[in-house]
Amino acid sequence: MSLERKDEHDHEGWMETKDLSPIEEVYLTTLIWLDKRLRIVDYLELLEDMYYKTNLQMPKSHTEQYNLDNKFWYWYPLYALGSFSTIAYVVAAITGALLGFYYAPSTAAPSADAAASVAYSNVLFIMGDLNFGTFLRSLHRWSAQVMTAAVFLHMLRVYFTGAYKEPRELNWIIGIVLISLTMVFGYTGYLLPWSQLSYWAGQIGVEMALSIPLIGDWVAQLIFGGFTLGEATLQRMYILHVFLLPFVVTLVIAIHIGIVWMQGIAEPH
Amino acid sequence: MSNDEPKTDGGEPKTDGSGIVPQDDQAPTWSERKERTQGLARLTYEYFERSRREDEDLRRASDYVERDVLAFPTWPHEMIRNLAITSFFLGAMFFISAAIPPHIPGPADPNSTPAVILPDWYLYWSFGLLKLTPINPELSLLGGQKLMSDRTYGVLANLVVVGVIAIVPFLNKGSARRPVEEPFWAAVGVGGVIFAFTIAVLAVQNLITDLLPMTSGELFVLTFMLPFAFAFVAYSVLKTMREGYMFELNRRYYRLRPPK
Repeated sequence: MSLERKDEHDHEGWMETKDLSPIEEVYLTTLIWLDKRLRIVDYLELLEDMYYKTNLQMPKSHTEQYNLDNKFWYWYPLYALGSFSTIAYVVAAITGALLGFYYAPSTAAPSADAAASVAYSNVLFIMGDLNFGTFLRSLHRWSAQVMTAAVFLHMLRVYFTGAYKEPRELNWIIGIVLISLTMVFGYTGYLLPWSQLSYWAGQIGVEMALSIPLIGDWVAQLIFGGFTLGEATLQRMYILHVFLLPFVVTLVIAIHIGIVWMQGIAEPH
Repeated sequence: MSNDEPKTDGGEPKTDGSGIVPQDDQAPTWSERKERTQGLARLTYEYFERSRREDEDLRRASDYVERDVLAFPTWPHEMIRNLAITSFFLGAMFFISAAIPPHIPGPADPNSTPAVILPDWYLYWSFGLLKLTPINPELSLLGGQKLMSDRTYGVLANLVVVGVIAIVPFLNKGSARRPVEEPFWAAVGVGGVIFAFTIAVLAVQNLITDLLPMTSGELFVLTFMLPFAFAFVAYSVLKTMREGYMFELNRRYYRLRPPK
């Protein structure tokens, strides 16, 4: 009896019985070597399982069954609107992160003789002195506008093609939450330059919050930091805009798209 | 066994390791464990088993072709097209941003109220809903007083609009997809879109009444009448189109099987 340990599953013997090319042999040797130490095969199996779960076996699609592909293409731009709003959101996130380097949410005057606030003069600096600053802010603003517009049109497309129907009610409601959050995003951003328009839009916001029955005062305190606009308002808007909403909206977008992925795109009939 | 004696669950504790016995075939498998569960977990298990079986049966009964991708393949079909469209879209956005930089109004001044206070364009509809004062009902029960203040009414109108949109999928069911198939719901949609525009116009009524020969009362009436008018037109057009489709279908049918 040999003292050498016998391989229970004699992989090397198995490899010798096969007629392997050098590449295959190197590949298998590496795989077996790694697998003995790291149990790679288990993880590969997990991956395979995930693959089959994400590519579910589904019946033939309506478009295929009735050969509608030739009529489908000119609707396609309408079906890309959700994608557009996501892309615009990503652009806004990137430019927003860059703008964040040059902006401070303060209503204090930068110097004793200055009339404008720190926030406003920061925006002036970005627009006037910063290299590519005008373009950066322009891109941020335009991507926000485009995102909102795309979301509106996306909603119309979903309505008029009946894509909100039966298995997709939940995603329709998530979509409504998303469009509302998008508008809150836009509103908080609108207040940040602390210009004349920002200030009075904020004033309307406070009044709207105050006119909610029963909890109006609390809501105004919570969101606007008081009943009159000031430093607290701007800071709350800033935190909402750059910290709270990005996390929430990104998460909800991920869920929204995940559900679309799972349920499949509602095709035109 | 007297009460003061210390109890262990396995008698004397063993320190030589002989207490550890290897699992035999009696150890339950995971599916057996699941079957033995109680209450909600058991129900969950049973439902999952049922739905899995149902799924299998449906698939076996179906004469559809089984394929290994979702209905409309996300990769590569969707992704490649999206990539092309995305590049174009990004380019357009960069171009617009470079061509039309945003305007900055003057710094905030709490002491001077501007003539026109406006949010960004996408909130005009909401801003317009705050101006529904003329239709805030005065209750005779309360002696002609309003049940709620005009501002509360406006905020409530916002919630009502969002709520109505949210319950649409629970009101309109069925597999119809095309507007032609459901003229009513398409008309509701058209009315809603037009209302979003007219109410936005109402939000800037100061500007409009200056610009057009129209009193604010007339504008208010138009705000609510135009959506109905457009919805009515959309309904009639779609209904007519549907009749047309039905006519075509019937004609084909009767050509194949002429009435006796």
